[in-house]
Amino acid sequence: MTEGTISATFDVYRHDPSRAEPARYQRYTLELTPHTPVLTGLLRIRAELDPTLTLKYSCRSAICGSCAMQVNSKSRLACQTQIGPEIARHGRIVVEPMRNMPVVRDLVVDQKPFWRNYDRIQPHLILDPRRPMPKGRENPMSPEQVDRFKETPRCIACAACYSACPAVEADPAFPGPMALAKLYRFVVDPRDTAAQDRLVRIQPDGLWLCLRCHLCTEACPKDVRPSERIRDLKELAIGAQGATEFGSRHAVGFKESIRDRGLLDEMLLVRKTYGVSGMMGQLGQGIKIYRKKPELLKKPHPIPGVEEVEGIYAALDRPEAEGGAK
Amino acid sequence: MQQHDVVVVGAGLAGQRAALAAVEAGRDVAIVTKLHPLRSHSGAAQGGINAAVGAEDSVDTHIYDTVKGSDYLGDQDAIEFFCREAGPTVVEMEHFGTIFSRGPDGSLARRPFGGAGFPRTIYAADRTGLALLQALWERLGTERFTLYDEWDLIDLVVRDGRVQGLVALDRKGGEFQEIAAKAIVLATGPAGRIYGRTTNAHSCTGDGVAAAYSAGGYLKDMEFVQFHPTALLETSILITEGARGEGGYLKNASGDRFMSQYAPHVLELASRDVVSRAIVTEVLEGRGFTGPYGGYVHLELMHLGKEKVESRLQEICDFCRNFAGIDPVTEPIPVYPAQHYMMGGVGTDIHGATNVPGLFAAGECACVSIHGANRLGGNSLLETLVFGKEAGVAAAAFAASAAKPALHESDLEPAVAPLRGWMARGEGEDPSTLRTEMQRIMERYVGVYRNEGDLLEGLKQLRAVRERFDRVRVVDQSKVFNMNLIDAIETGHMLDLAEVIIVGAYARTESRGAHSRTDYPKRDDAKWMKHTLAKRGPEGPQLSYAAVGFTRWEPKERVY
Repeated sequence: MTEGTISATFDVYRHDPSRAEPARYQRYTLELTPHTPVLTGLLRIRAELDPTLTLKYSCRSAICGSCAMQVNSKSRLACQTQIGPEIARHGRIVVEPMRNMPVVRDLVVDQKPFWRNYDRIQPHLILDPRRPMPKGRENPMSPEQVDRFKETPRCIACAACYSACPAVEADPAFPGPMALAKLYRFVVDPRDTAAQDRLVRIQPDGLWLCLRCHLCTEACPKDVRPSERIRDLKELAIGAQGATEFGSRHAVGFKESIRDRGLLDEMLLVRKTYGVSGMMGQLGQGIKIYRKKPELLKKPHPIPGVEEVEGIYAALDRPEAEGGAK
Repeated sequence: MQQHDVVVVGAGLAGQRAALAAVEAGRDVAIVTKLHPLRSHSGAAQGGINAAVGAEDSVDTHIYDTVKGSDYLGDQDAIEFFCREAGPTVVEMEHFGTIFSRGPDGSLARRPFGGAGFPRTIYAADRTGLALLQALWERLGTERFTLYDEWDLIDLVVRDGRVQGLVALDRKGGEFQEIAAKAIVLATGPAGRIYGRTTNAHSCTGDGVAAAYSAGGYLKDMEFVQFHPTALLETSILITEGARGEGGYLKNASGDRFMSQYAPHVLELASRDVVSRAIVTEVLEGRGFTGPYGGYVHLELMHLGKEKVESRLQEICDFCRNFAGIDPVTEPIPVYPAQHYMMGGVGTDIHGATNVPGLFAAGECACVSIHGANRLGGNSLLETLVFGKEAGVAAAAFAASAAKPALHESDLEPAVAPLRGWMARGEGEDPSTLRTEMQRIMERYVGVYRNEGDLLEGLKQLRAVRERFDRVRVVDQSKVFNMNLIDAIETGHMLDLAEVIIVGAYARTESRGAHSRTDYPKRDDAKWMKHTLAKRGPEGPQLSYAAVGFTRWEPKERVY
């Protein structure tokens, strides 16, 4: 447990929008042990060098979710990120506020948009009066049912996933990874009676806007794996009402094309996604593609050994397959 | 100026439960909190919540264990009420949507905890507080009340014999604000940051307790400070009692399970005061480990097996790996006691009412008292919900018949004038310097073991820091999110409370529960079977005493 100190350089984003001065980066240097959390470093700066440095923090043990920020361009909890590996990789520690939310001051952002999206998914048990709770005792819940919650109960609403999400940046209608992971938690809850409604309601302007980039899962400090929960929700949504949305039809078209030919049939995918009449709207795009890469518009021949692909699909569709919708 | 029937200060479990009760009673309710409600320190509670719901267990056993755990300072009438409410409270939280851990038969799983006769602690892995906090927040719903989040309580306004409202700082907006209220429920939680080594979050600065004290409220039993036996060395991050409940061992440097010397019947599962004293004694007498962060002992989980450790103590595994570079599956965890819980707080009856009409309190910031001289693990989450609800119901009833509050714009200036002074000062000390000094004093002189000489020296040094605080300087001149100003507000609050703790501890010439005087090592029921009450006077805390409520349990010597 004895270890030497290293010289740690922090370049910290400073901006007070209530004042006229432009945003800047301020450099602070401290002697710290390599296992020191970034948060401890920032609090040492506040106590010893500059009490005006502004950030949010509380528990310092990765359970309150207050201190999420950008550390060397990654959304992280400052309390859970040690300085040693950051300095080894980047030579310094660049600390900036989270993205996708307006900056209040320095490292503090206004999380209202994040909380609004959380509220939007109706984050509470929806009960059917015809199915009352057992009087005076708990609802029984089998270990298998508890398992279906997966990692979502660990979520601390730190918003690191929201900050990391390019779909949030591109489309404010997208509720963001945390809200969808939370939705999953209610959809699989045996006490909730609105799973079907929830799955139908989240599809327009919601679920299918996810880009499947998995940056949320990379950012999540609690291993909730939001992108995997979104994938689970997509499967449940198709199961609940079939492929009725652009997004779900696209996913199903993709799956069928690979199954039948072993590669992507672009024309089939467009037809599946938009329908025959909707394809007309894509005419301009089609002409562009025809001029540049006409081969993309031809129906591809199945690859040799396509029956092996079918075998993989069959294996995945068996009920005991890992990760499949049950 | 905003106005509401019931204003709840603090949005952890007690505050939210109070708000829910007041909303359900039809009142116009607001919550003021310096964090977002989901960031409250209730979420850091790990081990579980007690309820005697097992077939072999009984409410009477829970009552007895709590009375004994309190070292007979808990009010038995309050404890009886509290333990009877436990089962319905846990079931209600399950119905609200809490994701509890389950047994093989699908019922709520239970684990053994210190000082309890049966496995009685219902849990959600090792994040029970977070599971409850999320479920309650989701049940409360954001549309049924007004939320003032990231607002700091500065002062309560009491006039004409009742509470009239409060003065707060809106962090984001940067303005001082008044909120008029017919009734106020304080639910501001812990004050652990008075100490250097604490498991508590940085936000746990006793704001509500200090504001009640300034407003003429009685503080009860403040000298009883719980030190959790197993805090991670260096950072004092909590390692849940559940780690011992699941079968963890405590060992000294010779590899002995030393608890056999201190609690021969239940070993590691003695109550927290007993285990903390044992660890400190082992280290003081040279049988502990030593290192750059001081003496310590080992908490071993290795023999429990990877599967059990990783599934039931998932957060603990993460803490150890991320914050100490230790894998508890294969290595012992270095631990030492750290401040964890204040048994004392704003004195209330079982409905949360204080001596100030219209002012109520619940949760850790209150003292009913059910914990007496030592709280049992698993009883504090239960306390937040049982008494949060009581206080919310009582505050709603008070507000229903109360006249319109008389809060004036002229009430703002007296509360904020000192703060403006701190910001206007050209030179002076930074609040964090004074806070660190206070933490050092409390750690050194008012820790697990106390004696007259230490307490007098601690009081002298603390009063010197209080004088220096009169010249505190806030350098930051911005209105927006001025954490430097908030540091100063919090430090002022904590300095008041630290003085009350020392004065109460000095006066109490006995050892009871968590208050352990080496110069008075025995419990003295003839003289000290009574609650300490502290009221703010011109020269510091003025002490008086109140009787303990008795029903069925005669005081006995406490053996584990």
